This record gives sequence, C-alpha cells and structure tokens, in this order.
Amino acid sequence: MAEGASNQYREVTRDHLEKFGADGLRTLCLAYRRLTAEVYESWNEKFIQAKSALRDREKKIDEVAELIEKDLILLGCTAIEDKLQEGVPNCIETLSRAGIKIWMLTGDKLETAINIAYACSLVNNETKQFVLNSDVKEIRDIEDRGDAVMTAQAVSSLVKQRMEEYLDEAERVADDVDMALVIDGRCLMYALDPLIGRGTLLKLCMLCKAVVCCRVSPLQKAQVTTLIKDDAKKITLSIGDGANDVSMIQAAHIGVGISGQEGMQAVMASDFAIAQFRYLKELLLVHGRWSYIRITKVVAYFFYKNLAFTLTQFWFTLYTGFSGQRFYDDWFQSLYNVLFTALPVIVVGIFDQDVNAKTSIKFPELYKAGIYNLFFKWRVIMLWLVGATYQSLVFFYFPISVAQSAQNYSARMLGVWDVSTLAYTCILMTVNLRLMMASSSLTKWHLISVGGSIGGWFVFASVYSGIQVSFIQENIYWVMFTLLGTWFFWFLLLLVPVVALSLDLLVLLFQRWFFPYDFQILQEHGKFDSDDYESRTLLDHRPSTVEEQRRIQMAQLPKERSKHTGFSFDSPGFESFFAQQSGVPPPAKSWDIARRASMKHPRQSTGRKSRH
Amino acid sequence: MATTANAATTTPGSAIARNEVKPQSQKPIYTRFSQQEMHACKPLMTPARIVAVFMTVGVVFIPIGIATLLASTSVVELVDHYGHACLDNSAAQVNQSLRTREERISFIKNPSNPKNCTRTIRILKLMKQPIYMYYEITNFHQNHHRYVKSKSEPQLQGQQASPEQLKICAPEDSVGGQPVIPCGLVAWSFFNDTYSLALNNGTSVPVNKKGIAWKSDMDKVSSTVYASNFQNNNPSAYIGGGKLPVDSPLRDNEDLWVWMRPAALSKFRKLWGRIERDLYPGDELQVNIQNVYNCFSFNGQKKLVLSTTSWMGGKNNFVGTAYLTIGLLCVALAIGFFFMYYSHPRPLGNTKQFSWNNEKQVKQRGFQSTQPRTILR
Repeated sequence: MAEGASNQYREVTRDHLEKFGADGLRTLCLAYRRLTAEVYESWNEKFIQAKSALRDREKKIDEVAELIEKDLILLGCTAIEDKLQEGVPNCIETLSRAGIKIWMLTGDKLETAINIAYACSLVNNETKQFVLNSDVKEIRDIEDRGDAVMTAQAVSSLVKQRMEEYLDEAERVADDVDMALVIDGRCLMYALDPLIGRGTLLKLCMLCKAVVCCRVSPLQKAQVTTLIKDDAKKITLSIGDGANDVSMIQAAHIGVGISGQEGMQAVMASDFAIAQFRYLKELLLVHGRWSYIRITKVVAYFFYKNLAFTLTQFWFTLYTGFSGQRFYDDWFQSLYNVLFTALPVIVVGIFDQDVNAKTSIKFPELYKAGIYNLFFKWRVIMLWLVGATYQSLVFFYFPISVAQSAQNYSARMLGVWDVSTLAYTCILMTVNLRLMMASSSLTKWHLISVGGSIGGWFVFASVYSGIQVSFIQENIYWVMFTLLGTWFFWFLLLLVPVVALSLDLLVLLFQRWFFPYDFQILQEHGKFDSDDYESRTLLDHRPSTVEEQRRIQMAQLPKERSKHTGFSFDSPGFESFFAQQSGVPPPAKSWDIARRASMKHPRQSTGRKSRH
Repeated sequence: MATTANAATTTPGSAIARNEVKPQSQKPIYTRFSQQEMHACKPLMTPARIVAVFMTVGVVFIPIGIATLLASTSVVELVDHYGHACLDNSAAQVNQSLRTREERISFIKNPSNPKNCTRTIRILKLMKQPIYMYYEITNFHQNHHRYVKSKSEPQLQGQQASPEQLKICAPEDSVGGQPVIPCGLVAWSFFNDTYSLALNNGTSVPVNKKGIAWKSDMDKVSSTVYASNFQNNNPSAYIGGGKLPVDSPLRDNEDLWVWMRPAALSKFRKLWGRIERDLYPGDELQVNIQNVYNCFSFNGQKKLVLSTTSWMGGKNNFVGTAYLTIGLLCVALAIGFFFMYYSHPRPLGNTKQFSWNNEKQVKQRGFQSTQPRTILR
C-alpha cells in the first residue's frame, strides 16, 4: 500500500473489515494504481518470461507480480454475504455426534472464519478457543520494517511459544471442556514444520473438538490433510466445492466434491460428488455405514465358506494315505465359488441393511462401530473361522459315516464320488443358510439367489451326472440320481446343516442376549419399543421435575448468548449491525425473550459463569 | 439420471406458455430398488421365537431318529474275520505253520499251495431274505490318488485307445507291446476270493451274483469290450488280483464293476452276492472260501459280512443316534434358553443399553476414545 493520503483510511478500513468479519461476511479490499503504457509493457515482458520459465516458475511469477503490485492506493472494502447452505449446522452437529472430528479450512480471514464456525455449530459458546493469529500488532510492526527474515523469525517463535502454551493448557483441561483451535495460514506454515511445531500441532489438534484454519492456501489445505493422514494415521475425508479445494480432496483418503455454482473442478477430482453439503450426512451415516457392514460381512463370510469347503477336503486326505486325492469332483470344485455360492454373497453385499436409513440418521452414534472397527476385530474373524473348522468336521465325518454300510434297500455300496457329492450338497446348503443367518434383512433377492443357487446345483449335478462323454473321467456318471434315490441323502441333508449351524447359532444367541451391539438393540427397538422417539431425549433418565423439563426445552432453543450471534444471516446480529449504524435498535425476538426468562433460574452443575 | 419435463400451460390460449418447459429435474426415478427400501423380512431372534424354534427342531428330529434307529437295529449283521485264520488252516493242510508276515505272503503267493478253507457261521437271529454277502477289506486305500485315476474310460467305452491315452494306467497299460484291457491299477487289483455256501445239513445255499453292481457302472461300459492281455500267464509277472474270462464281454462281469467303484475309506466292504432264502436261528452256515487274495502285503484284513437290509440300507446306527441326540439336545436347549431368558431378562430395544450411554461398555469394548459425553450438560 502506498504511503500518504490513503493512510487515514487504513485504520478505519481495518476496523470495518473486522466488523464485517465478525458478522460473517466475506470481505474484499479494493485498491488501485495508475500505470502508463511503457511501464506496463516493460513489466509485461518480464511477466511473459516468468510465465514461460522452465524452473521455479511459481517463484518467478511471484517475484514479477511483486514488482507491479506496489504503491497501490486504498479505495475501501466490500463485504459479501456468502450464505451457508441449508442444513449445514445440523449436518455438522450430527457428524460430530457420530464421532467424526470436523475441521474447517478456509481462505477467509480469521473473524469471518470464526463466525462461520459458530454458524455451523462447529464451535459454541462453551468451547474453549485457542487462537493462533499472526495478524497481531507486534508482527505487523516488524513486518512494516520490511525485514523478511526478522518477520519470519518473529512469527516462528510466536507460533512455537503459543502452541506449547496451548498444548499444556489443553492437556490440563482435556476432560472437562470442548476445545477448538483457530489457526492462521501463516502460523500454519510454521506449525507444520517438523522442527518448529508439527508434533505439538498434532497433539493439540487431536485434543480439540474442532479446528478452524483460516487464510489457508490450497497447498496448505492439502498439507493439513496429509498431516492427519500420515502422521496421525487417521482416516480423512475432504469435502469442498471450488478449484482451490482440489488438492485437499486429492490428498485425503476420501474426497467429496460438491457440485454447484463454483464449477466442476472439485467434482472431477473427487471420489464422491454430492449436490449439497448436507447430503454428506446420508453419504456417511447411511451409505458409508452400510458399506462398512456389508464389506466386513462379505469378507468374513468368504473366508469362512472357503475354509469350510477346503478343510473338509483336508480331513479326507488323512484317509487317503496322504496321496492328495481330491475329495470333490473337479468341476464341482471349480464351480463352487463361481456358480453355487457367488450370487447370494453379491446380493448380501448389495442389499444388506442392519437398520434402515432413517434410523441410521437418527442415531449417528452407530457410526462409531465403524470408527472402532468393531465388526472386523480379530475375535470376530476368529469366531467365523472356528465355526468353519467345526463345520468342516461335521461336513466330512457325517457323510463318511454313511460310507461304512450299504445305502439303500438295494444294498449296493456307495463309492467315494457318491460320498463326496453328498458332502458337497450338504456344504452348499449349510453355507448358504449361514449367510442368511448372518444377514439382517432378507429381501426377495436373497431368497431367489439362495434358492437359485441350491436349485441350480441340483440341476447342474443332474445334468452332469446324466451325460456321458468319453474324454473326461466318468466318475460322476449317475451319481446324483443314485443319491436322490437314497434315504441317507435326504436325512443327512436335513441333519448336517442343523448340526453344523448349531454352534454358530448358539454363539450368536449368547452374544445377542448378553452383549448386544447397538444396532441389534435398535433392531429390537424398531419392532418392540412403542415409545415415540421424537419426544424422547437420549438421556439415561427421564426428566422428572418441572425444572429439568424446562431446562431441556430451553436447551433446544437456538443458543444466542454471545457477541457471536451464532447465525450470520437471518439473525438479529446481522440486522443489528446496520441498524446500529443508522441508530435504530433491533426488534426483540421471541427466543431472546425466552432466553431472558430462563436467566431467572439458576444454572446447575457446571460451575462456570455463562457468557452473555 | 431421469429427467422430467413439465409443460407449463398456465393460461389457455397463450402460445408462449404452451412452449415453456420447466427446467428439467435431475432427480433420479424413485424405485424401491434404487433407494434400497425394498420390502424386507427382518427376522428377529426374540426369546419366544428361539425357544419355539429349538422345540420344533427337537420335536421333528426325535421321531426321525427313533425311526431310523429302529430300522438300523432291525438289520442283522454277521461278520467273520477269515483272512489270517483261513490261511493258517490252509497251511496246516500242508503241514506248514506261518508265523511271520513274510511267510504268509510267500505262502499265499505260491500257486501250488492250497488256498481253501471252511468257516462256520452260526445264525443267531432270524434273517429274512434277501440276505446280502459282502467282503470287507481294511487298510486298502482305494481312494489313493494314483489308484483312483488309474483306469481308462475311452478303453472301457470300446474305443481304440492310443498309447498316450493309456499312459494314465501305467504301469498296467501294456504288456509286451500289447495294451492291457482293462488297463489300470483298479482292474489289476481285482478281488478274487470266492465263497460257496452250504447249510450244516448239506443243502447248498445258492448265491445270486446278478444285480450286485450299480447298473450305471455297467452302462458306462460298451458290450464290445473283452478282456485281453490281462494278468497274463507269465509266472514272473506281478499278479495283482483275479483273472478275467476272455470269452465273455467285460460288461457282464459284475464283480469287476463292483470292485472298480472306488471306495471312500481304506476300510470298505463290497457286495459279493445275494442269498435268496431265509436263514433261521440255529442254522450253521458252512462257507467254503477260496482264500487267494493277498491282503498281507498291505497289512490288511479280510472279512466276510452277511447282512439283511431295511428301507434305510445296511446297519448304520450313526444317523439314528445323531438324530436322536440332536433332537434331545434341542429340547434341552429350548428348556435351557427358556430359563436363561427368564432369569436374565433384558428389555428388548432398551436404549439405555447403548454403548455410548454406558461408560463401562465403552471401556470394555476397547474404545480408544476416552471422552464419553452425555448429550446435555
């Protein structure tokens, strides 16, 4: 900025900027400078050179830009209302109930960012804020002296010192309050440096409920994401709607782009694209959660069914003199995974739901099961595998017992291929039934696929047994028909699945009764508990006294207790700024009156003064 | 994405209004399938249902178990271990005594030694016809990998098999340049003990040897195939089992097909013949055995089994016992679960049990987060 006449406006403009920011408006400063044609031409040459430089292009462009962006005369500032999308505060609140930590990375200035954070319910009045601002008077003074090295040192030492202070304080009060960290882009640059503050930053961020980074460049957005992804080893999701969010979206584990007015760059770089921010709630809590459940179920089931199938064959090798004779016919073995057990798994993987979409959103805490990886812990997997081992013993020894004596009234003996086909049929029935047992909801596709797989097996085996081709070994010729005419076959087909599944069923029943998962409680609730959920709170006791009931109702009103209005728009604060400017007092709102009425009653158990 | 275009016709007669279309909606078509709201059955395991299911299973299984067990116990089975005893008997006929396994092996391999003996089987219970005769061998791995694949289907189906195709039968594929029919180890180890029966009063008991093999096994074989070059008469050749008649089609030799169906375990029995008369308690059956099959080389035993059948088949208590056990177990489980649900009731759908409302559970489940929060302060 040029010295001289415009100086008088600087302070006033800065003041205005802060006020705008406090109201959550996005501010822009306007300044101008007159150029002559020669000055422009000579500068343009340098600029073109810098643009086509092969090395350090960014740096050269910056340097050339510095040459012309000086001695500007301040005109003033503007403020734009960038309305929050509808449903954003609700969405953020729900997601934090789900155990997801939410950070805001924006290019706006500090006050705007803080205000928007209040508007989104990222922070509230009870949150302890740690602010790391580099735009303070001391730093500005050093900067005005023009020494870049000194400025850098000053900011760096400020960052280091403050962060350590904050970390100490945070560790002391971690269990009592929610904390939020607000950090400036320039401070972030030093904080991300491993020598200065990276470790401290990481620890502090992990303790905070929310982190707001303002004045961050797109590169810094990506750096912050990488900080959590690589150093803290957490799963990160980035959501953004503009081209400046692309690097952040690509850096995170999951990138979500919002398609909208700012163009499609974010969408094109992302893994998922949604139309509005609030759809993130459904994306994560409904589809993300279902996806987790489905994947864990399908993967565990796949290992189980192949283990059961293969271990049965393994027990057979003990009886073949360890010669490696296969138990099942080659075609049956190849088609096990491809034809006879594939469809039901696909259907479960697509359609399985433990609770329906509405319930998933009503109870975001269900999402924590995925965060803690409850369904894929080793003990869960081991249960499946132990079940598979037990079942393989049943699958082998029950049919084999049948091989010891004659099989039907015709008294002819069954050979090895008859026994193995009998075992195979039992295995198919059992693993498909096991899948149905593990599913939470059965649609008609489940029944079609299971019925189709088993029916398809009978058809296939009959066809295979009925044809006689010379170039393959005719082991299975007529085997299926022999089996179908044997009482043992049908009796074993009824007995073996029951015996095999009984262990899994018992374990399931015990777990469901004594250690139910949350979603299982909800499944029961949907059917049996007739309470109307809308009116209940999730306290562990019903409010008994009039006082408690009133407290609950008050708390459900929008919170309006601080200088930060909590809402940038449609809010008394917004109106009152301009109203104040023109000397008109704002009208009283109904919640205001209710709030004032509630002040008459003493607050309980927090021990802290409330801020008005 | 589906688009719906609505033509706005607000005022009749307005040409502009008729051409106007509302902006196309990007909303996808709602179907139950695409929105994952299909009608689903969500079977819930409530205490009442669990107890009912177990009781039903028990109630269904117990009668089945009893029925099959009755069928199995009604089967009369007589087993006679004759392998060693028969050989010792034969050895005694030529004043030799066999003590070691090697002696037995060399005795039975020697074609000039007598190999027959007579065994007596006493009938204790009424055996109604048809009574089936089986020979049972132990420690013979018909399910060994090399053994199972060692036969040639093309050859048995009457085709001219090339030497490459016959390689699978090695080493029993050809002798002296001529292919062996039927080739392979399975046929080569053909069981050839024979039995002839007579009652103690001298009447012979005829044994029907027709219909002992699965018809499908015989159908697989072409009737044009005759045995040739099989266990040829070269005395130094390694003989594995019985010889086959060269004048009748291979297909008619039912004993061979009974043998060729590989058994599942190393202890197996195979049908030898059918007795079509009743045997009464007190009868003594004299079995004259041609004990030629060498089971000593593989340390096996030979047994002769006489068995009746029921609608279920031979004597096999396993299925009946299993059904009965499982049925009783299910009834016991039903009662046990009933008492468990009664003594440890848990209100269904109780939201107080949510893990996030219960700090103890939070720690128990191993959650790393240590900041449990109640919703309201």
